[in-house]
Amino acid sequence: MLELFSPDWFTRADILIEVFSFIVLLTFFIISIKNYKLTKNKKLLMLGIGFFLISIAELATILTKFVLYYKTTLIQNFGNIIVQYSSLHSSDLPYDLGFFMYKLFTLGGLYIIYRLHLKNRNFGDVILSALFIIIASLAGQMIYYVFHITVLVLLGLIISEYNQIYEKNKSKNTKMLVSSFFILAVGQAFFILSNLKIAYVIGQLLQLISYLIFLAIIIKINKNGWSKRN
Amino acid sequence: MDGQKETSPKKRSRLEVIADMIRILQEKGGKIKPTHLMYKANLSHKTMKGYLSDLKKNGLVKEQTTESKSDRKSKIMLILTNKGRDFSTNYSKIIEFEKTFGI
Repeated sequence: MLELFSPDWFTRADILIEVFSFIVLLTFFIISIKNYKLTKNKKLLMLGIGFFLISIAELATILTKFVLYYKTTLIQNFGNIIVQYSSLHSSDLPYDLGFFMYKLFTLGGLYIIYRLHLKNRNFGDVILSALFIIIASLAGQMIYYVFHITVLVLLGLIISEYNQIYEKNKSKNTKMLVSSFFILAVGQAFFILSNLKIAYVIGQLLQLISYLIFLAIIIKINKNGWSKRN
Repeated sequence: MDGQKETSPKKRSRLEVIADMIRILQEKGGKIKPTHLMYKANLSHKTMKGYLSDLKKNGLVKEQTTESKSDRKSKIMLILTNKGRDFSTNYSKIIEFEKTFGI
């Protein structure tokens, strides 16, 4: 079942925020892979794959929402009754598939970023977690907040991991990273309440702030690297 | 055992060894004999061979064989490529990136 949480006045901004998030995530992916090619550090490869999966998830939701909003705008010309029917009761497979991909890749990507620092890499755990990710993505198609709760839990674990890293290295960039993941987690808490359209808008704005911090980290790393060289 | 641990210097990471090798090459004007690089980078013959093979495979360093006019013996020199120079440029960025993510 498709559910449109975005208020009409926010539909374009909504997609723009996701396009921005996609670009930032793709940049992280490119940097990770570029660094991996030079250093052969497998953790960089894993980090890159994690960011790549989340960026693909963003792309899936951008394309799905774009088509969905476009379709809704077209139908809107024929009257409000048809709009409501299309938004709430449509069962079109491509949209379901698009949102499923978004959920699956987001959870998969976050899980990889979380696993990155775990020393115990039991293959059975990975298989079991993959199964739970698929189940959470499928359940999220029927009960939307199941997905957001799962993301919130994963982000909580990631925040805890990176906070420990910050305690050790005291790097300002890591502190920014923790803040960014924290804001993203607060955003997810708002998405859980997406039935209230304003909560969805706040969630999206928090996501924008979070990705702006991610972008600031990239700029800072490049600037510091450059100044250390000179 | 414990005493040995305290006195021995911290083992360099793979990235640190590579960065050291590239730095030494740059200091020598981008050209050095393999044996000189081995001593200056503080590596054993076996480790040096492994790292050098990686550096060559990734195009950071290339080998040049020249024949000495005086004794007609061929000399192998290691040459730093443009990609190797780029690596040096990006090294601090990589370190900063890895530090940020604790990897």
